[in-house]
Amino acid sequence: MKKFTNLLLKEIKELVNKQLIISLVMMMAIFYFVGDLAKTEMKKAAAMQKISVMDLDQSELSRGLTASLKTANFEIEWSQGKDPEAAVRAAKKSDTYLLMVIPQGFGESVANLKPEQITTYTFLRSFSVGGIRKSEILRAVITATNNYLSNDILRKKIPDVPPDILKSPIKSKDYVIVKDRMAEGSASAISGFVYSQSILIPIILFMIIMYSAQMVISAVAMEKQNKTLETLLTVPIPRMSIVTTKMLAAGLVGLLSAAIYMIGMKSFMGGMTGGISAGASMSGVIKQLGLTLTGKGYVLLGIALFFAILCGLAMAMILGVLAEDFRSAQTLILPLMLMILIPYLLSFFADVNSLPLPVKLLILAIPFSHPFLATPNIMLGHYSAVLYGILYMAVVFFILVAIAARIFSTDRVLTMKLRWGKKKVVL
Amino acid sequence: MTTVLKVEGLKKSYGTKEALKGIDFEVQEGEIFALIGPNGAGKTTTLRIVSTLLSPSGGKVTFLNHDLKKEPEKIRENISYLPEEAGAYRNLKGTDYLKFMANFYTDTREKAEETVRRGVGIADLGIALNDKVGTYSKGMVRKLLLARALMTRPKMAILDEPTSGLDVINSLEVREIIKRFAKEGISVLLSSHNMLEIEFLSDRVALVDNGRILDAGTSQSLKDKYQAPNLEVVFRSALR
Repeated sequence: MKKFTNLLLKEIKELVNKQLIISLVMMMAIFYFVGDLAKTEMKKAAAMQKISVMDLDQSELSRGLTASLKTANFEIEWSQGKDPEAAVRAAKKSDTYLLMVIPQGFGESVANLKPEQITTYTFLRSFSVGGIRKSEILRAVITATNNYLSNDILRKKIPDVPPDILKSPIKSKDYVIVKDRMAEGSASAISGFVYSQSILIPIILFMIIMYSAQMVISAVAMEKQNKTLETLLTVPIPRMSIVTTKMLAAGLVGLLSAAIYMIGMKSFMGGMTGGISAGASMSGVIKQLGLTLTGKGYVLLGIALFFAILCGLAMAMILGVLAEDFRSAQTLILPLMLMILIPYLLSFFADVNSLPLPVKLLILAIPFSHPFLATPNIMLGHYSAVLYGILYMAVVFFILVAIAARIFSTDRVLTMKLRWGKKKVVL
Repeated sequence: MTTVLKVEGLKKSYGTKEALKGIDFEVQEGEIFALIGPNGAGKTTTLRIVSTLLSPSGGKVTFLNHDLKKEPEKIRENISYLPEEAGAYRNLKGTDYLKFMANFYTDTREKAEETVRRGVGIADLGIALNDKVGTYSKGMVRKLLLARALMTRPKMAILDEPTSGLDVINSLEVREIIKRFAKEGISVLLSSHNMLEIEFLSDRVALVDNGRILDAGTSQSLKDKYQAPNLEVVFRSALR
């Protein structure tokens, strides 16, 4: 055990170097800084906005419309002048992002059901999310005003029928069913909410697996490049210990690095959503449908991730043996990266079950697919699929470890290498 | 005298290429046995097999009655191998590297500390041992590695080109250290291109070429046999 600990500590020391610490701290700082900046911008966008308004009508209706803008948190800057061109010129010089021109005779034309058009101008001074949101808010105000006006007109023209019935004669009540649970709500809204809430999970999985695998492949390659492997292989310690300590150290450091990355990422994503939390009603629906990760769900996801990391480490260990130096190790990680990338990208836009059978089988054969599939499967209550995935990964892991141990216990660890020129593995 | 290492009909092939075609030799306790020969003769392959890095394709290697194929871990406990192109962990300080290696050969902290003290003495790198190995020159790394190989007092030190990369003064020091340890009972199996070094260090020499031992004996007996003034001429004559 003393020898094992000795080797493990050395492996950790080798991995946790100045470069790693600096890159992690820098990354955290960048995430935090950008996240904070985004948060400030989003809050600014949600706060009181300035809008230039040219009211050429000055009717009761136009005053009502501008009043509703104030209610929607807009600060009105009245534009003087006689024509829209003058208003545009003036707005260009100011710091306003929006301009609304209410034409002359607007109120009267609406009353006569021959409405004049309101013109809006959005000054796209940047491509930031905040800038886009401003025009969205204005659009929402116009829609609400339209709704109000149409209701008013309908009430006057057909007083016996509620305007809502005239506008939407067909009523629908939407329910979403997940297994044996049912809740009122729109499927697209619920899917969108679940997606937004779980978007970080595949990113976390991808980073942890990649990080750990990258570390172990580099560790083996560096032993070869620095000519330390031969000495290490002649010290009195079981070869299996060399394999396990490298994998364990890479796994631990990989997990730690990924956790630090994720804290930074969370801060960044929090900033991007402006720290605005989801509506309580939506959260209620999600809970009612059981579309949340419970304690059991987290445990299963954790186990799935753990075995995926183990598979990645064992695979990286074998690939590391094929590398001659650190540089070739970076190339050799490519097949592993692809195997992680495929399910990672797929998790964003496709349902594995809806894919053609050969493709589905191919995806399921990749051990790294299973942690990505675990989240939706856990949420939808398909626990057996998650358990089969874990079992499959465990089998793959033991096969890979057996191969790695076999390689390390023979002289193949020194003689096996991938020769790019000859495109073959020399054993 | 006790036979520490016995090599019988040793063969090694890499695919279709035969690197060793049947090598036989023995090394006694406290003896310095040297393999000399040109590049690709099979010297390093022999050393790597004895140090359990490579598996032989044929023949038998016995170390202190342990069969190399059956009990490689028993052999690793009693040997120390210094490869020709060896390195040390660049992120570790010199002393930390010695500590790290000492922990594999000792079971108590006291023994480990004693081993490290011995290593510090052999390395003779002064305060540079507190610096990271990454800052060392090639010669300093070589001395550190030699210290690592000898500080554990193995039954046999297997040294491939022990003075490779060292200047004249350091090479002389290293040869003295190897001689001293051999006198204390450590057997040494070494290979070198430097015939003068071999002549100075070794008790017996084996002339290796094309995967075979052409001849073996003490430097003097070989010189007498081939009526040669030095080992270089001996080797040339043996090749004919």
